[in-house]
Amino acid sequence: MTAQRLPTDWKSDAMRKRIARRYGAERRFKLAGLAAVALSAAFLAFLLFTMMGNGLRGFTRTEIALTVDFPASPLLLDPNAITDEALANANLPMVTGEVAKKALGGDADALLSPTAWISIRDAIKADPKILSRTETIRVPASTAIDLAAKSKGSPEAEAEVARLKQQGVLSTGINWNFLTASDGTDPTQVGIWGAFKGSLLTMLVTLLLSFPVGVATALYLEEYAPKAWWTDIIEVSINNLAAVPSIIFGLLGLSIFLNFLHLPRSAALIGGMTLALMTMPVIVIAGRNAIKAVPPSIRDAALGIGASPVQVVFQHVLPLALPGILTGTIIGMARALGETAPLLMIGMRAFIATPPGGITDPATVLPVQIFLWSDEVSKGFVEKTSAAIIVLLVFLLAMNGLAIYLRNKFETRW
Amino acid sequence: MTQEQTDLTIANPKMSARDVKVFYGPKQAIKGVSIDVDMDHVTAFIGPSGCGKSTFLRTLNRMNDTVASARVEGEITLDGENIYAPTMDVVQLRARVGMVFQKPNPFPKSIYENIAYGPRIHGLAAGKADMDVIVEKSLRRAGLWDEVKDRLNDSGTALSGGQQQRLCIGRAIAVEPEVILMDEPCSALDPIATAKIEELIHELRGRYGIVIVTHNMQQAARVSQRTAFFHLGELVEYGVTSDIFTNPRQERTKDYITGRYG
Ligand SMILES: Nc1ncnc2c1ncn2[C@@H]1O[C@H](COP(=O)(O)OP(=O)(O)O)[C@@H](O)[C@H]1O
Ligand SMILES: [Mg+2]
Repeated sequence: MTAQRLPTDWKSDAMRKRIARRYGAERRFKLAGLAAVALSAAFLAFLLFTMMGNGLRGFTRTEIALTVDFPASPLLLDPNAITDEALANANLPMVTGEVAKKALGGDADALLSPTAWISIRDAIKADPKILSRTETIRVPASTAIDLAAKSKGSPEAEAEVARLKQQGVLSTGINWNFLTASDGTDPTQVGIWGAFKGSLLTMLVTLLLSFPVGVATALYLEEYAPKAWWTDIIEVSINNLAAVPSIIFGLLGLSIFLNFLHLPRSAALIGGMTLALMTMPVIVIAGRNAIKAVPPSIRDAALGIGASPVQVVFQHVLPLALPGILTGTIIGMARALGETAPLLMIGMRAFIATPPGGITDPATVLPVQIFLWSDEVSKGFVEKTSAAIIVLLVFLLAMNGLAIYLRNKFETRW
Repeated sequence: MTQEQTDLTIANPKMSARDVKVFYGPKQAIKGVSIDVDMDHVTAFIGPSGCGKSTFLRTLNRMNDTVASARVEGEITLDGENIYAPTMDVVQLRARVGMVFQKPNPFPKSIYENIAYGPRIHGLAAGKADMDVIVEKSLRRAGLWDEVKDRLNDSGTALSGGQQQRLCIGRAIAVEPEVILMDEPCSALDPIATAKIEELIHELRGRYGIVIVTHNMQQAARVSQRTAFFHLGELVEYGVTSDIFTNPRQERTKDYITGRYG
């Protein structure tokens, strides 16, 4: 032991090594972080690419140009009296089949979608004068042809596609039907509108129920509730409620709303009520945090000039907490939008071919529609499933965009 | 209680506290304080940190009501009326006894709104033109008008610290209070802003009863005519400011003033 300490040698080997180790540690940490980010980015890219690859095809359809010689066709229609009724009685599906057989040859039924006649009907409706001449109308191809034309189909379908291509009648068009129709049995006729509207109505019910109740609960717990054992119990219960698996909420909805209150099954009303149970605790927790974050000095300021407690809450605390509450609400709503399990429990998995007219009509929602389509055997549903996922993701992105917009709009700059 | 003091009891005090005790749960923070406040003198509360100055100040407009554990005993009157009586409306009391806090706390709203808020909730203005008059008068009294008259719609939080504090004083003035309580209003400000606030206190004296808490003894000496020295929850000495600083009667006051502790 030397009593006297030598002055620190900042250039010694030990020091140099320590510095090198420090830089090394920093480099490794950076690399690990980079690797983590790269991995999640890769997963995201993979998801997006497969979704886009499959899904974008769901928004297009293969069309066949059908040349119809109307005067020579067995169609009995008076060009001066085109009414919906006359069109409905004209037996267009049968006529379309015969025309197709003549024009395209082969097994026309296997070439055209069962909905092909609708295109012909719409063309006649748009311009009745075509009934007196020969007209080329684009009609949707059958699922087998659609698949074969877009990617890979059965050998027979591939052969037919090759033959049709030679005739120069194949083309690709936008499948507007997908955005305007509802569920169906044939993949060429299904659409997302019914499920989209169902989701919209369900979200509306969820928002109208969970937002006021959630905000009121958060305000009461933060601003009025005394600190007592029963408020602690409420707090713990709400935190636990937010963590309960969603299927439990579905069971709750089933037993209370359907079996006990006898509300209409499969309706957006019940779906919205069930999801509101799930969303409310999220709003309460986000709301309480946002309210807690309002500086106490603002409360003092308002109380100090004689604002009543209610005025303090509604004129100062709530406006300042609003951005946080809205963000929490939209996160909760986005979770509810993607929820499937509880809705299956309350019967929203039924096959519903007409869009719901109101909140008590039978409806389905986007994620359930995705679930139903992914379960279909027909290969044509694969791209429809992916396309529906894209619609759902766009819906979610729009909601998150709204959240960011609202937060920036209402955020107080100190 | 060893309160040997000049008799400063006033015949008709604006506010008067008699044997006030404050408890936070089981802990006693104020141990029987009696004091009178009038309109002609600025009263300063001095004393080391944690001695109960803020606690006592906040009993005067019942801001202590917001602390769940706080309990007040004794009697405090405003114009002879007990402010802790069940018939007293606390909202009106706080309009009559305004408060300015340690940290400037303007609302995150426009300068105009900051001033107009109080008069609006108490229904003091008859229309927009009248409100404009109140806002201008209050800002003038707070010595801020010339600095902000061209940007009344800017956010109150965009002002400098000293301006924010004067805005808060203007906000308190706008509801026509009778007494203004100030809790270390300059402790977050630089010397120039502090000087402005002190000047303002001089100008406001006489129009309002003013009580100011400060840990700065020079400030107490500069702005006040009455000084109360608190220590460990007791009012050790209360007297004419010049007496307290030049000729303290109590050993503890002398120790504090000469900087032996605190
Ligand atoms: N909200 C409160 N709850 C419990 N104790 C408090 C509270 N506020 C102040 N106290 C206590 O009361 C005493 C006086 O505090 P305060 O009035 O803030 O002193 P000062 O303003 O003179 O520094 C201190 O011991 C402090 O810890
Ligand atoms: Mg204090």
